[in-house]
Amino acid sequence: MAVTVFLKKIGAIIAAVSAVILIAFTVYDGVFNKSASKDFFAMDTVISAKVTGKDSDLCVEKIEKLVTDLDGILSRHSKSSEVTALNNGVPDGMISDRLLGYLHTLIDISRKSGGAFDFTIGALSDLWSFGKNPKIPDGQDISAALTVSGYEKLSFEGNRVTKPDGMLIDFGATGKGIALDEIRTVLENSNAKSAVVSVGGSVLLYGSEKVTVGIREPYGNAGRSIASVDLNNTCVSTSGSYERCFDVNGKNYHHILDPETGYPVDNGLISVTVISESGVITDALSTACFVLGIEGGMNLAEEYGCEAVFITADKKIYATEKVSSEIRITDSDYTFMNYES
Amino acid sequence: MKAELFRKGDIAVILVILVAVALFLGIQSKQTDKLEAVITVNGETVETIDLSLVKEKQIFEFDTTPKVIIAAENGEIYFEYADCDDKLCINCGKLSRKGDTAVCLPARTVVTVSGSDVGVMTY
Repeated sequence: MAVTVFLKKIGAIIAAVSAVILIAFTVYDGVFNKSASKDFFAMDTVISAKVTGKDSDLCVEKIEKLVTDLDGILSRHSKSSEVTALNNGVPDGMISDRLLGYLHTLIDISRKSGGAFDFTIGALSDLWSFGKNPKIPDGQDISAALTVSGYEKLSFEGNRVTKPDGMLIDFGATGKGIALDEIRTVLENSNAKSAVVSVGGSVLLYGSEKVTVGIREPYGNAGRSIASVDLNNTCVSTSGSYERCFDVNGKNYHHILDPETGYPVDNGLISVTVISESGVITDALSTACFVLGIEGGMNLAEEYGCEAVFITADKKIYATEKVSSEIRITDSDYTFMNYES
Repeated sequence: MKAELFRKGDIAVILVILVAVALFLGIQSKQTDKLEAVITVNGETVETIDLSLVKEKQIFEFDTTPKVIIAAENGEIYFEYADCDDKLCINCGKLSRKGDTAVCLPARTVVTVSGSDVGVMTY
């Protein structure tokens, strides 16, 4: 009998302690692991932000404001943006420190990629008009657009920028990456625990928790993935010829233009994904690696210490060494190939 | 007097708790298996549809510019009409698997079949 009473007492103590621990954990979890998410539209794309942390609600609001403000600086399709003012010819050529910083970052990437990435070919993109009523431009018009393009034609004196008349600076290939880098700062300052942010398919993974990132099936339209990899604390960006493109006589013309020829890159690639800590580098390098092709792209990714996944039009997948061991192919139509330089 | 570890009342309470837990877990499991489509306009959820229950054609229209019409039938959902230039949303085709997504950027309308194993997609 004494043993039974003892067991009952022990049971009651365990139950009480368990209840206290459960309540404490629930309260802690509710306060410090509170999740908030928001989908919104800016930068001509859809943006999704999911944040976990004490001030997650406030944090997603800050992210929306940041991206909207950034759009107001970087969009060359907005009449009031600073880039539009620069493209139209700022009277004294003076630009803000913020825009100047971005331009210097992009010039560095343009130089290291040997011009495969060039953010000054807006005039060329306009000729192709991929956004609305796309068409194959006249060859002479392409030559004229190339004459006023080229990052090396920009010159700087403090905050004063000098550029050729007609050159159009375009942040279309890097604005999303720049946004991801600035969003990371917001998350750090807000003491967020973790976050997954997608700015039109360019992704920021913040925090130590691993997230499965899917690489979109290039030929499919329903947003399905062909491969996935678990990642944390990084940025991921993809450039694909399946976006903003049109067909003429069975030939596909897409928006990734070769800054040297002025025509869409035609090297057998259909998509390049780059993984790196920096959003702007992943964004710019996904374009540069696409232009350079598999071999040149692999070398550039290595120079930047990035990982990259190349998908060819004939459904073969090549990847840099580290990601090769981590990637899972989820679509049997695609074959993983070992890359040998 | 003979002391028992559990009285009849204790056993009844334990049974009730066990049944409640089993029911809760069962409901959770059923919710996970559900094929649910979510329509958002301007980031706000405007419709949630259990596709597994959809047999007859259902039409969904919202106050968007340009106008879009979304249809669901036989466990699938798709943009049936869009008054936009590129028609990319219509070209997305019929969504029927977890994670399938179609977007009409001009109308700021997104259709997603929720519950994918993939946390986020790069494209």
